[in-house]
Amino acid sequence: MIFSRHPVSAALFMIISMVSVAGLFVLLEAFFLAILQVLVYAGAVMVLFLFIIMLLDVGPEGAKSSRLKLVSGFAGVACFSILIVLSLLLVFDSSPISQGSTLWPALDQSLLVNGENLVFSTRVKSFGFGLFTKYMLPIQVAGFLLLAAMVGVIILSKKVIREEKV
Amino acid sequence: METITPQHFLILAFLLFGVGFLGVVIRRNLLLVLMSLELMLNGVNVALVTFSRTGQNLDGSLFVFFIMTVAAAEVAVGLALLVALYKKRRSIFSEDAGLLQN
Amino acid sequence: MPACYRTNRMESVILSVLLLPLLSSLVTLLFLRNRGNVAALLSVATAGGILVFSLYLIFATGDGMYAWEMSWLTLAGWELKLGFLIDGSARLLLFVVSFVGFLIHVFSLGYMHDDDAKARYFGGLSIFMFSMLGITLADNLIIIFVFWELVGFSSYLLIAHYFSTKEAAEASKKAFIVNRVGDFGFLIGIVLTYWTFQTVNIQELKALVDFDPNLISTTLCLALACGFIGKSAQFPLHVWLPDAMAGPTPVSALIHAATMVAAGIYLLFRIDFLFTGDALTLLAFLGAAMGLFAGFCALGQSDIKKILAYSTLSQLGYMAAAFGLGMPGIALFHLMTHAFFKALMFLGSGSVIHACHHEQDIFKYGGLRQKMPITALTFLVGVLAISGVNFLSGYFSKDAILLGAYNENMIIFVLLYAGALLTSLYMFRLYFLTFEGQPRSNNSKKAHESSALMTGPLIVLAFLSIVGGYHSLYPTSISGVLLPDIERVAAMPNHLWMIVLGTGAWIVGSLTAKYLYGRGGENEPLLTRFPAFYDLCKSKLFFDEIYGFYVSKIQDPFARFIEVMELLFISGLMVRGSAGISGLFALLGKACYVGKIHAYSFWFILGTIGFLAYAVGLFGN
Repeated sequence: MIFSRHPVSAALFMIISMVSVAGLFVLLEAFFLAILQVLVYAGAVMVLFLFIIMLLDVGPEGAKSSRLKLVSGFAGVACFSILIVLSLLLVFDSSPISQGSTLWPALDQSLLVNGENLVFSTRVKSFGFGLFTKYMLPIQVAGFLLLAAMVGVIILSKKVIREEKV
Repeated sequence: METITPQHFLILAFLLFGVGFLGVVIRRNLLLVLMSLELMLNGVNVALVTFSRTGQNLDGSLFVFFIMTVAAAEVAVGLALLVALYKKRRSIFSEDAGLLQN
Repeated sequence: MPACYRTNRMESVILSVLLLPLLSSLVTLLFLRNRGNVAALLSVATAGGILVFSLYLIFATGDGMYAWEMSWLTLAGWELKLGFLIDGSARLLLFVVSFVGFLIHVFSLGYMHDDDAKARYFGGLSIFMFSMLGITLADNLIIIFVFWELVGFSSYLLIAHYFSTKEAAEASKKAFIVNRVGDFGFLIGIVLTYWTFQTVNIQELKALVDFDPNLISTTLCLALACGFIGKSAQFPLHVWLPDAMAGPTPVSALIHAATMVAAGIYLLFRIDFLFTGDALTLLAFLGAAMGLFAGFCALGQSDIKKILAYSTLSQLGYMAAAFGLGMPGIALFHLMTHAFFKALMFLGSGSVIHACHHEQDIFKYGGLRQKMPITALTFLVGVLAISGVNFLSGYFSKDAILLGAYNENMIIFVLLYAGALLTSLYMFRLYFLTFEGQPRSNNSKKAHESSALMTGPLIVLAFLSIVGGYHSLYPTSISGVLLPDIERVAAMPNHLWMIVLGTGAWIVGSLTAKYLYGRGGENEPLLTRFPAFYDLCKSKLFFDEIYGFYVSKIQDPFARFIEVMELLFISGLMVRGSAGISGLFALLGKACYVGKIHAYSFWFILGTIGFLAYAVGLFGN
């Protein structure tokens, strides 16, 4: 996807990867999340992207500045590796920050804090239960976030229309 | 074929994240940058669900729920901004948006 | 009364004495800038309050000593204490400063009546009182130095009262700078003192010196005496005093006759245990030479205030000589009597100047005795006192000095005796030319007696000039510090011979003056009869010219050289250099501001890496 020239093809590749990730979720027995992935990401987000592509009528990208891409590609790889190395150091090194973190194969039960442990289950009911008891506050905040995003988008797009009229 | 262990999933998540990262860094088309951002988030989601599954803990999956919410909101706002930028600069390439250039 | 209660009251009284004038000047500065009359009354009321509190202090401490100190500034291993020491000399000077100060404040009400900048003047007077009282009461050398500088500052402020005239502006600068030269020596002396004794407290110093007299050294006391030389205008730093007459006359009376210039003598008295024999001899010679030299200069002046200024220089020389001869108490005695009659004469001249519309040339005066009888009479009393006419105040102190010199050091005696002759000569010259004869200009024709505000202090000071010498009239709290030396002098031989000589001096001087100036002429008779002698007198030994040459030819080029160095190194290297380094950082920062979103994402990533690195502990914990 990142190497395709036309944005529409990039978007289509994106949709395929989203659906694949949904499949992955199914493999991991997170069925609710799989459906959510398809609905939200592949269904809403990518449709939005395609809508904007059509609106702005973006053409294929030019061939110039491929050298810049090369340079930034290398820089990006370098940065990425540094990031990964540092994260691993953070997790595995014996510095006080990462004390007691054992990731394989199962989480140390003593580390779990902030409410009772939710046992993994594939049922949506347990999902809802967890959401509305342990994660009550984040749900409310997410609601506000969505409201804010909606209002913001409306204002942003409203401005554009007004300018056009003038 | 060997059993699929959590490590495989994690490597996949790592790859997704990396590809998205590279996309953010390389692309000049701001739209594609935003898409790569989504890809990064997806990678993180996969990792989280993997850990949730292996740790027998539902917290990971619940958090994925929230990440999806936030990602959706962010995409909406980001695209609105992009459209506004387009209205001003008639282009969505990053080099054309450089008014602050010295 | 329990001791603690009494101590607190003393402290509060001392603090009031000090802080009242400071408060008055602050109020004047902040609120009364345009309301000169209110400022004047406030200042006079403050002076009255100071007088009352000072009298209380004098009588409350009796014959003993009162010391109080508190820690003001504590640095590692060194402590600066703020303290007061009220002993005999402090009481004496307190009396002089507050009493004469109060009278001069009252006089100023009349003299500065039609001045434009009254508030500034009275504010300056209040600051001066604050500083002078600080010097009087302080107990360690560093605090004395602080107030020393403050006094110099108030002098600068007040001399430059008529700052629109070039003369006044130059004079104030000169006074301050010459003072600073002396203070530089003083500061070195303080450092040396601390180095030798590890303390600058006067009482502790005295105890240490009593314990081990070998600690004192000539360098140390001469360095400390530099402050005296600067402030009390001795050789070679005397050049500022005559020029300081550009300030208003009450200022000249207060600062440059009675109190500030006396602060030097006071300082010497306080630290007299630090002086070695050689230093004392040197001071005595300097003082005696100044006494004579200033007499000659006064003969060559025609400005009434300049004559009085040189007379002050001469009398300060007498005080220094007394100190150097080993009679510090007599020096203090002469300080007191001098304060009375010199302030009297300055105020009298102020009255004359005011009446003649700021005319100051004595050859334009004449016949003022008929127009201004009170001024003339009180001025005559002052002249008689300074000449040493028997039984007036000046006679007692001068006689004591001459007697001491006769018995200790003949050369000094000769110098001082010649100075006494000259003193009566030029003083009577001043009197005859000003008050006798016929009016020689329109201003003096139209003169009339001054208001009671001005003549009242004159009368009081005249009274003090007459009786001020009878030390038995003073309470022992004031005169106690003088008694040891007075008794010592009284026990010296040749007393009768000295009385004869002293009487002869003033008789000869006054008769010569009457002969030369009795009829009051338009021109200086000395000019016609002894022109060379007169020119020598007028030249003042070219001190001003020498200093002018030094400043313009030697000091200025050096200053310019330093300026170039400073431009090169400090401005160029250090200031611009550090600006350049900051500029480098700025360039680095500017690199972050490329307009490309692309670059911004990189900076973002770099930032994240930085945070992670810190979290991992790469930059240290």
